[in-house]
Amino acid sequence: MKVTRRDLLVWGAGAAAGIAFTPVPWKILDDVSIWSQNWSWIPQPARGPVEVKQSFCTLCPNGCGLRVRTGAGWPVGIAGMSTHPITRGALCPLAFAAHQLNWHPQRLRAVRHQSSTSSWAAAQAAFSKACSEGKVVVIDGYAGRAASQIFEAFAEKRGSYRVAASPETRALAPYESWSGVPANALGYDLENAQTVVSFGAPMLDGWGAPGRFTRLWAERAAGMADPQLRLIQIDASLTRTATKAWQWISIRPGTEDALVAGAARFLLEEHLVPANGPMPPLTLVDAASQTGLTTDAIRNLARTIVAKPPVVAIAGGNNPAVAALNVALGALGQTGGIVLRSKQKKVYESADAVIPKARAVVIDSTVPWDFVPRTDAEIFRFAAWDGGSNKAEWLLPAPGFLEELTDVPTAPTSAVETYAVAPAVAKPTAEVHSAAQFLASFDAELNSTDKIIHARCEEIFRARAGSLYGRETTPVAQVASAQKLEEQLRSGAVWVGEPLKTASLKSNLLKCNLKEWPADTRPERSEDWAAEWPAPVLPPLALKLYQESSLREPPERKTV
Amino acid sequence: MKMQRTIVVFALGVAVALLAGWVAFPRALYLQKQQPLEFRHKTHAEKSGVADCNECHALRDDGTFAGLPAMEKCAGCHSERIGTSNAEATLVDTYIKPGNETPWLVYAQQPANVWFSHAIHVKRAGLTCTECHSTYGESDQVKLYEVNRISGYSRDIWGHSISRLRRAPHDGMKMSDCEECHRKHQVEVGCLGCHE
Repeated sequence: MKVTRRDLLVWGAGAAAGIAFTPVPWKILDDVSIWSQNWSWIPQPARGPVEVKQSFCTLCPNGCGLRVRTGAGWPVGIAGMSTHPITRGALCPLAFAAHQLNWHPQRLRAVRHQSSTSSWAAAQAAFSKACSEGKVVVIDGYAGRAASQIFEAFAEKRGSYRVAASPETRALAPYESWSGVPANALGYDLENAQTVVSFGAPMLDGWGAPGRFTRLWAERAAGMADPQLRLIQIDASLTRTATKAWQWISIRPGTEDALVAGAARFLLEEHLVPANGPMPPLTLVDAASQTGLTTDAIRNLARTIVAKPPVVAIAGGNNPAVAALNVALGALGQTGGIVLRSKQKKVYESADAVIPKARAVVIDSTVPWDFVPRTDAEIFRFAAWDGGSNKAEWLLPAPGFLEELTDVPTAPTSAVETYAVAPAVAKPTAEVHSAAQFLASFDAELNSTDKIIHARCEEIFRARAGSLYGRETTPVAQVASAQKLEEQLRSGAVWVGEPLKTASLKSNLLKCNLKEWPADTRPERSEDWAAEWPAPVLPPLALKLYQESSLREPPERKTV
Repeated sequence: MKMQRTIVVFALGVAVALLAGWVAFPRALYLQKQQPLEFRHKTHAEKSGVADCNECHALRDDGTFAGLPAMEKCAGCHSERIGTSNAEATLVDTYIKPGNETPWLVYAQQPANVWFSHAIHVKRAGLTCTECHSTYGESDQVKLYEVNRISGYSRDIWGHSISRLRRAPHDGMKMSDCEECHRKHQVEVGCLGCHE
């Protein structure tokens, strides 16, 4: 029998039909898809023992607790630390993907001098020369760390130390200037507040430690017609916080001061608040014409503010009018208001002010990239990522995310003192030095970060106050030795101090020397919350979560 | 006549394809590999008194799974030869004395983008080892390791049934198997639960 061309075609058709009834096409499709994930040029995490280490985020001063999963010693995944007493496992989208930041294309891997590649030796020579010629100013982003102590000690001998405070700390600056109590020693007792009036502060979208207010809001306000925690959001546009707030009051952009003055005047005139502080000069009618609200709307707002005490007003930045409203409301030193969290008395000089007659300025990597000091001095800027154009003569590569041991002092808005130690979890991917290490190389008398952390642990042990929050909560008084306490802190526990006695808070804070209602209170520096982290330096996953899904309001929508 | 011939040839094509797809293809797809050593779970359980999987395949204090025991664990008993088999000689001379880890071929090895927590499944869900790993822990010979020539993963991931239609409960460790078990136990997990 002769095999024809037709036979071959029919046989082929039969085979094709038959193969569809076998696992071949489906199995090959599955295998090829898996094979395509493993091409040699696709980066793969190193294979090795998988471990989970506890540390703390150092991208902002809030120091959220992290559970870092490592594979072969490299961080490959991040989750929140549920035992953290403040953040309770919550993280911002940036922190979830922060381990990718160390591999970011904009990672600063070499010393740069005026846009050209240079060396550490050249930077050290230039700094040494600058030190011998004049004053050195050191600018810190998060005051109170072990590194900050090194900066202060260095600056004490050779110049001055300044702090570029976070927007939350800047919002507390008016109390500092009126009462002498440092802004760093103040916090918001949100856990006991019943009404929170936010003047542009993104309470549910990046304000303070992520998770603290959002959890309070979720537990006491979300979905309730008459919530236990009332959030009144004053914002020109319908921000993400405004959409979720109990009430959103829309006013003309930049007229928060007028609204505050109008509401405060009404409250004082109607004796709805104790007669604390001066009478605002602005009439209700003027306030209404400036804000675009009716006088009735301002009256209603004022009545609502005081309807459910304790109440606290929170500004998006340094706004003395909002601070004066808190004085009028009697929120200072009160439960559910602005409280004194530590006995610290040191007031730091602000980095925003002009820096006169300095030869060199050292900027720590904790200072936000968009901060530019007002100086003509030679700038030595430490940074882990190169965020684009800036005024610094020297760009010095600093340790990236979790690449160095550091400590985490109290977060800016916290009502109680906290302390944690963030161990290095990742190996540095470039030759990096922190600003503290760099300065210590010029002064042998300066202590190392490690020694300062050790001393602080001993200090906490000796004070015998507060508790350690780790796998279990242990009062410090029950910890056997300073060494045990340090071991626990270095393995992810958080020390939380005891709240200070209310009576002492009142006497301290009510001495506010506020004789006249604050005039022109526009902040010197705009509070652009979306730009707190320079946009180009984001990990790929954060780009997706943080930008594409609009978890943050794009900057162009901030102004209306 | 012509029609009859066409049907026969077509059927022949179908038959060859079915035979190739169901018999020849699975044999060609998987490459058989030998483990570096002959290992007997049963012997270890009987002679050394190791009764619990957790004694060698332990959960660490931080909740992560240690996986295969490190060489130090084996060296606890096998620092010197304690038998006459070739496997014993290889273990002691090639791995323990020079301090090399045994390059075991891992049957349950998942892609790098998968995060599976043994701690959650064992401690919280109360699953036993055999529910996913069958009774291999009681076997008296090392299981044959078959690697997929295309994907590079073990046959245990797809399961031994090429059609995946009539499988034993522990046969297969693909994402659909995880989903099926989660559905059965009514436990919801988002994408980031396993792919963080």
